Amino acid sequence: MKNIFIAITILFSAFVFIQCTEDEVTSTENGTLKLEFDNVVGTSNLQLNTSNFAFENALGEDFKVTWLSYYISEVRLKKEDGTYFVDPVAFDGSTGFYLIDEADAESHVIELKDVPPGSYTEVTFKIGVDASQMTQGAQTGPLDPSIGLFWSWNSGYIFFAMEGASPVSTAEGNALVYHVGGYKTLDGSPNLVNNIKEITLTFNGDNPIVDADEDPQVHIIMDLKKFFNGPAGNISFASNSVRHSPASCVDVAQNMAAAFNVDHIHQ
Amino acid sequence: MTCLLASHLTFYLTMRVILVVWLALLILSCKEQEVSNPYQFVIPDNFPESKYSFQNNPITKDGFELGRMLFYDPILSRDETVSCSSCHQQHVAFADPLHVLSIGVDERVGTRNALPIQNMAFQQFFFWDGGVNHLDFVPINAITNPVEFDESVGDIVDKLNASSFYKNQFNKAFGEKEVTSQKVLHALSQFMVLMISANSRYDKYIRNEGELLSTQEQRGLLLFKQNCANCHSTDLFTNGDFLNNGLDTDENLDEGRARITEFNEDKGKFKVPSLRNVALTDPYMHDGRFNTLKEVLQHYSNGIKTSSTVDNRLFTNNSPGLSLTEDEQNDIIAFLQTLTDESFIKDKRFSAPLMPKQ
Repeated sequence: MKNIFIAITILFSAFVFIQCTEDEVTSTENGTLKLEFDNVVGTSNLQLNTSNFAFENALGEDFKVTWLSYYISEVRLKKEDGTYFVDPVAFDGSTGFYLIDEADAESHVIELKDVPPGSYTEVTFKIGVDASQMTQGAQTGPLDPSIGLFWSWNSGYIFFAMEGASPVSTAEGNALVYHVGGYKTLDGSPNLVNNIKEITLTFNGDNPIVDADEDPQVHIIMDLKKFFNGPAGNISFASNSVRHSPASCVDVAQNMAAAFNVDHIHQ
Repeated sequence: MTCLLASHLTFYLTMRVILVVWLALLILSCKEQEVSNPYQFVIPDNFPESKYSFQNNPITKDGFELGRMLFYDPILSRDETVSCSSCHQQHVAFADPLHVLSIGVDERVGTRNALPIQNMAFQQFFFWDGGVNHLDFVPINAITNPVEFDESVGDIVDKLNASSFYKNQFNKAFGEKEVTSQKVLHALSQFMVLMISANSRYDKYIRNEGELLSTQEQRGLLLFKQNCANCHSTDLFTNGDFLNNGLDTDENLDEGRARITEFNEDKGKFKVPSLRNVALTDPYMHDGRFNTLKEVLQHYSNGIKTSSTVDNRLFTNNSPGLSLTEDEQNDIIAFLQTLTDESFIKDKRFSAPLMPKQ
């Protein structure tokens, strides 16, 4: 019996010791790194609700944009020494998920807090909301279904939403509707697809340096033109103006993953 | 050294006290479990594991009671005329006794017969097409469907936040007055996960609790095992699969599960429903086309229509139908009636709550 108590005493002391050392490591000099998402169409800055069809896709079809929103999640930063800073993800979506909404300028900048000091070489993130999050039940924060990016009938989030209009669209009101989502996969259901995309963008040697006094900002460009013309092909508004089911979005989801790149760093 | 010894001795004594208190607490909590807590989730002995994420939404009495109020309150619908309980009524195991197809706001007619709400914690997929894969998300379907509540989740949150009564209830349940969609959905889930039906005559028979089945019911059970239990398996009476049970030919197959899987081979397939309380939940099938169990048994016996996706277990010697005699059909129906759970449909925990005037 006495031995047990001695063992407990030693374990307890060890825990106290470990906790102390952990605190010492994480409590000093951490900083902030910001990721700015700048939405553009080719060489033009993206503007919502333009009075005319202000933009053009790679096929020369004119269009305008009324809504553009997407989720960025599970952000990781790779340090020069090969270690990672992992932005914490909460089971209920309250942290680790960011809704970039073109209509809300404040949402364009993601602030990664408590980043250990150092020189960072690349950023990795997902565009969308992973299947594992859906098994956790009701979500909050940016994932609150009242925000309007939740599919009820086929439960899940729209990862990337673009709506607008094009004179060549054959849909009602010349509408353009692209709702990229879908994360379910099941044996025996070949058309159920996981359209979530994880991408890694390197800083090309222009490494942001994080410390307590510096909060560098990484300027990321999302080019909507590439969303319609990328590795999976060229999307025509005349023949493909509406996509809002997982299987129908496989190609635009691949294009979506290729629409992001790092433009420059503000140190 | 003496100082170190003394501190170890103090520590030793402290640990002893902590251990004693801890053991006492353990014993107390065991005793509490023996006195059954009506708000505790307990898996019946003959049931499989639950699928619900309790770690993110632990049940409390106040959370359950809030879910119960919301379930019965038409505030969840656009014009506050329809509640969950409109189409899910306790006396018929929370199915819809009145309508073949459910009716929403403005008397709009839905496309499906309302499924009963029971044993929700044990299901992986919800609704006839299985489009929803977590219980928390189930109410969003009814809320936002134009032929059901035709309401937005955000509007519901606003309406509840404008009610001092509800703000107090949310505070009691979740420790915060502010209503969020997450709390609304969690409360509804807390109510629904406790809606367990596992106390029918069949359950008491299978668990050796002193219940006996009549000779006819036992014959029915045997026939059921031979003819039906391939799909209506386990004591949930479903294998959780999506199958075409031969209701229509290819020309008029409903989209069914294919709406979710976007796969033509899933056309005409629907969730295999549980048969618990099946004698109460008429009409039957996704579109409520059969009014009686007799019609259902006749369908399986000699009414199966062939199509490209019909389940091949519904054929006998390459001919459609299970070819059951009338006596066999009656025996199976007699057995199915033993799945009626009187205590579930009379359980006061699930009945309409008394709401104060607001």
